[in-house]
Amino acid sequence: MKKRIISLLLSISMLATAGFTSCGKKSAKSATANDPHTIVIWHDKEDAVTDVLKKKLKTLEPDVKVVLEKKSDLTESLKMVGNDPNSAPDMYIFAHDKIGVYAEMGILEPITNLISKDDLSKFMDSTVEAATYKGKVYQMPLYYETLLFMYNRLYMKDEEVPKTTEELYSYMKENTGGGHYGFAEQHSTPYYATVWINGFGEKILSKDGKAKLNTKKVKEALTYHKKFVELQPGETEYATVNTLFSEGKAHSTIAGPWMIPTVKEKGMDVGIAPMPVIDETQKSLSPYMGVQGVQVLKNAVKTKKASIKKVLKVLMDPDVEIDLAKASGCAPAQNACYDQDEIKNDNVVMMMKQTADNAVPMPNAPEMDVMWTVLGNLMTDINLSNKDIDESLKNAQAKADSLIKSMK
Amino acid sequence: MKDRKYNTLKCYLWSLPSLVLILLIVIFPIIYTGYISLTNMNVYHWTNYSFIGLENYKDAILVFDSGFIKAFVMTVIWTVTSMILQLVIAYVLASLLNVRGLKARNIYKTFLIFPWAMPGYVSILLWKTGMFNSQFGLLNQWMNKLGLTAAKWLNSDWSAFWCCTIVNLWLALPFMITIIDGALQSIDHSFYESAILDGANWFERTVYITIPMIKPIIGPSVVITIFTTFKQFDVIYLLTQQVGAKTGANIHTIMTYAYENAFITNNYGYSSAISILIFVILILFTVVINRRQKERSV
Amino acid sequence: MSKKTKNIIKLTILNLFFILICFVTLVPILYAVSVSLNANNSLLSSDFSFIPKNITFANYKAVFVEKPIMLWFKNSMIMAVITLVISLGTGIPAAYVFSRKKFKGRKTILKTIILLYAFPSLLSMTALYKLLVPMGLINTKIGLIIVYTGTEAIFALWNMKGYFDTIPYEIEEAAMIDGASPIQIVTQIVLPLAKPTIAVTAMMVLIYVWNEYIFAVNFMTGSDTYTLAAGLYSLQATEMSGSWPVFAAASIVVSIPILLVFFALQKNMTTGLTSGGVKG
Repeated sequence: MKKRIISLLLSISMLATAGFTSCGKKSAKSATANDPHTIVIWHDKEDAVTDVLKKKLKTLEPDVKVVLEKKSDLTESLKMVGNDPNSAPDMYIFAHDKIGVYAEMGILEPITNLISKDDLSKFMDSTVEAATYKGKVYQMPLYYETLLFMYNRLYMKDEEVPKTTEELYSYMKENTGGGHYGFAEQHSTPYYATVWINGFGEKILSKDGKAKLNTKKVKEALTYHKKFVELQPGETEYATVNTLFSEGKAHSTIAGPWMIPTVKEKGMDVGIAPMPVIDETQKSLSPYMGVQGVQVLKNAVKTKKASIKKVLKVLMDPDVEIDLAKASGCAPAQNACYDQDEIKNDNVVMMMKQTADNAVPMPNAPEMDVMWTVLGNLMTDINLSNKDIDESLKNAQAKADSLIKSMK
Repeated sequence: MKDRKYNTLKCYLWSLPSLVLILLIVIFPIIYTGYISLTNMNVYHWTNYSFIGLENYKDAILVFDSGFIKAFVMTVIWTVTSMILQLVIAYVLASLLNVRGLKARNIYKTFLIFPWAMPGYVSILLWKTGMFNSQFGLLNQWMNKLGLTAAKWLNSDWSAFWCCTIVNLWLALPFMITIIDGALQSIDHSFYESAILDGANWFERTVYITIPMIKPIIGPSVVITIFTTFKQFDVIYLLTQQVGAKTGANIHTIMTYAYENAFITNNYGYSSAISILIFVILILFTVVINRRQKERSV
Repeated sequence: MSKKTKNIIKLTILNLFFILICFVTLVPILYAVSVSLNANNSLLSSDFSFIPKNITFANYKAVFVEKPIMLWFKNSMIMAVITLVISLGTGIPAAYVFSRKKFKGRKTILKTIILLYAFPSLLSMTALYKLLVPMGLINTKIGLIIVYTGTEAIFALWNMKGYFDTIPYEIEEAAMIDGASPIQIVTQIVLPLAKPTIAVTAMMVLIYVWNEYIFAVNFMTGSDTYTLAAGLYSLQATEMSGSWPVFAAASIVVSIPILLVFFALQKNMTTGLTSGGVKG
C-alpha cells in the first residue's frame, strides 16, 4: 500500500515536470523573436494614435510584419526584460524622459546608427536635443506635447484671458467661490507645478545630475505660487482638476492637449491661449516639453537591423505626423509639417508650437526618476500641509541629494 | 529506529510538492535578494554588476533614521488597530449571521464578500475618488446635503489614517467574516445548551465557550492576516502617497517609507539590502512578541 | 408578548440591520455601477446619483463586444482551475502530514515558512523573472501558474494544517481499528470533515488568481495572453486616454463570477465538524 502511494506520488510529480517543460518550450515566443521580418513595438498610446501608425506600417507587409503591442507598466517591464531578446520588444514608443535610465542600463541603440544625419536634421532641434543623452541621440521623434493654458469661453471672455500672472490672480479672486474656481491646475503634481519653477528660470536638475531645489529661484517660485494655490481646490490629482474644468466649475486650467477632445465632446467652447507672463520675471509660465518617439533596443539591432531601418524610414514620413496631429492633436516634430496648411490651421498644434518655444525639455537623466518623488513631496508639504517653505526646501534638497547618491 | 526514519521520509514525500513550490516562489526570491544586496546592481551597472560585500548595508543603515522609526511605530499602530477592529467587527457580524431563523443569511454573506471579489486597486481607486474626494466625493456631497461643511478627508494625518483603516477593513473583513463564520458553525450546539442550563449568560458563553473554541481554528488565518496588514502597501500608498496625487497627509508605514527612500532609486543592490534589513527587523519583532506572550501565558 | 412574536421582532430588526450593513458595504460598488451606466465619460460628477440621469448600457456592450473579454475570461478560468487543483493537490497532503505526523524538522519548517511571510515582496518580481527565464516559462501560462501556486502555498499549508489540528485524532484511530487504510481515512473521513477549510482555501486561491495583475502584466506580453485582472488593468483610464465607464463596467463584470462561485461554495463552508457528529 505504502509503496503504491509513493510510486503514485512520484509518477505524478514526474508527469508534472514533463508537462511543465514541454508546454514551456512550446509557448515561448522564440518564433517571432528570431524572425528578422517581424518587428514588435511596445507602446502605451491611445487607439487614435496607434490606428494611424498601424495603417502606415501595413504598407511594409509582406516584407516586414510589425506588431504593435499596448503594454501597461511599460517602463517597469523594460527594466526587467530589456536584456532578454526572447521577451523584449524590438522597439518601443515612449516619451524621451526615460532615455537616460535605459541608456545607462545599456539596452538602447543610438538612433544615429540607424538613420542618417540628414534624416535627423529634418526634425526640430529641440526634439532632437531632448533625446540626446551624454552626446548620443537615442530616439527618433514622432511628436511632442506641452501643457496649454485653456479656458471656457462661457465664463472667460477672450478679452478677459490673463496676459500676466497678476491678471490671472485678480481674475481668480473675482471668480472663485460658490463652487466655482477662476483657475484650477494640478498645483502639487510635479509635472504641472514645474511650470512655475521653470518660469522663474530654475532647472531643478542640473546637466551634471545635481538637484537644485534649495535655491533662491525655487523659493521665489513656490512662495509666489502659494497664493494661487490658496484659491484652488485642495486636490491635486488629475481626475478632480479635469472634471472641474470639463463640468464648467473651473473657468480656466493648465492641461495637456489630450483634454481638448473630452471637453469638446461635452459641448464646451474651449479657448487656448499663450501661458501668462510672470510679472516678476517677465517670462511666461513654461511647461516641460515631452517628446514622444521611437527608441530601439540594442539586442534587436543585432538580428533585425534591415527591418528596423525600414520601419524607421516609414515612420519618418511627414504624413504620419500630420495624420497624428489630425487624429489626436499631436504636434509634429518635423519642421516641414508646419508648412502644410492642415497644420497651420490647427490652432491647438500651433499653440503648442508657440508654447514649445518657451518650454523646457523634460530632463532625461536617470536622476530625474527620484526628482519627481522629491518634488511631489515638496509641493505637497508647502501647498497642502502648509509647512514652512525654508524648512521644506532644505529637507527636499537633502532628500534629493541622498537619493541621487544612493542611485550609484 | 528504522521505521521512524522511513516515516520521516514518507512525510517529506507527501509534503514535497508543496515545499518545492514554497522553495521556488518564496524562498528563492529571498535568497536572490540577499545575493543582489551584496552587489552593485543599479542603473549604471545593470548587467555588469559586481560583488561589493556589505557596502550597500553601510548605506542602508542610514535609511533607518527617525523617519523610519516613526514609520515603524505607525506600522505597529496600524496593524494593531486594523486587527482589533477586524476581529471584533467580523466576530459580531459572523455571530449575528448565525442567529437561528435568519433565512437570508447566504444572500447577506454574498453581498458582504463583494469587496473581496474586486481587484484591490480598483476598490482603492473607487474609495479615493468616489468617496473621499473633497470636491466630488460622495461623503462630501452628503455632508453638503446635511448642511455640514465639506472636509478634506485625506489631507491631515489623523483623518487620513482612519480613512486608510476603513478602506483596509472594507477590503479585509470579507475574509475574516468567512473564516470566523466557518469556525462558529463548527461548534457543537450541545455546548451552549448545557451552558444555558447552567445559567451562563451570553457574555459568559462568548468568553468561556465560543472564543476558546474558535481560537485554534481561526488562529492560522489571523497570524497570516497580521503579516499581510503589517506589509500592507497599496492602501496607504494609493490613497495618500501616490506621486502626482498626494493628499498632504504624511503617514507612512515601513513599506511606503522604504519605497520612497530606496526603491525609487532603481538601485537594486541598495533596495535589496533594505528589504533584507526590514525582513530581519520584522523577524526579530515577531520573535520578541512571541516570547513575551509565552512568558505571560506561563 | 409570546416568545414567537418576540422572535419575529428580533429577526426583523436583524434583517433590517443586515440590509443596512450590506448597503453600506456596497456603496463604493454602487458608485462603480452608477459610473458604468453613465453616458458621460467621467469618474467624478458634482451631481452624482446612484441611478444616473442618462442610463446607457453601451459601456457593458463595449466590454463584451469591443474588448477581448471572453478571451481574458477563458485565460483566467484555465489559470484559476489549474492553480486551484495544484494548490489543493499539493497543500492537502502537506497540511495533513504536518498536522498528524511527528517528524524531524516539522516544527522548524512550520515556524520558518510563516516567518517568510514577513518578507517584503516588492522586489521579488525580478527574482522570479530570473527564475522563470532559464526554464523558458516567461510568457507561458505554466510560468504564471507556478508563481501563483507558490505564492499561495504557505497560506494553503498553514490554513489547512490549522484546521486539521482541530479534528480529533480519535476518529482516525477508531477508523484504523475498524481496518480502514490510510488512504481511506484521509479521503473518507478527514477530507469530508475538513470541507470548510478546503472551501475557504479554494476561495482564497481563486480570488488571488482572479484579481492578480502585477505578475500577469509583467510576465505576459501581448493582450491576448492576459487574464481578466491584467486586461482590466490595461483598460484603466489614464490621464491621457481611456474610458472610466467602460473600466467601471469591466470591474463589475469581473467580480460577478467570483460572487457566483462564493454563493455556490457557501454550503461547503457551513457543514463543519458538527455535521459529522463529533464531540471533542
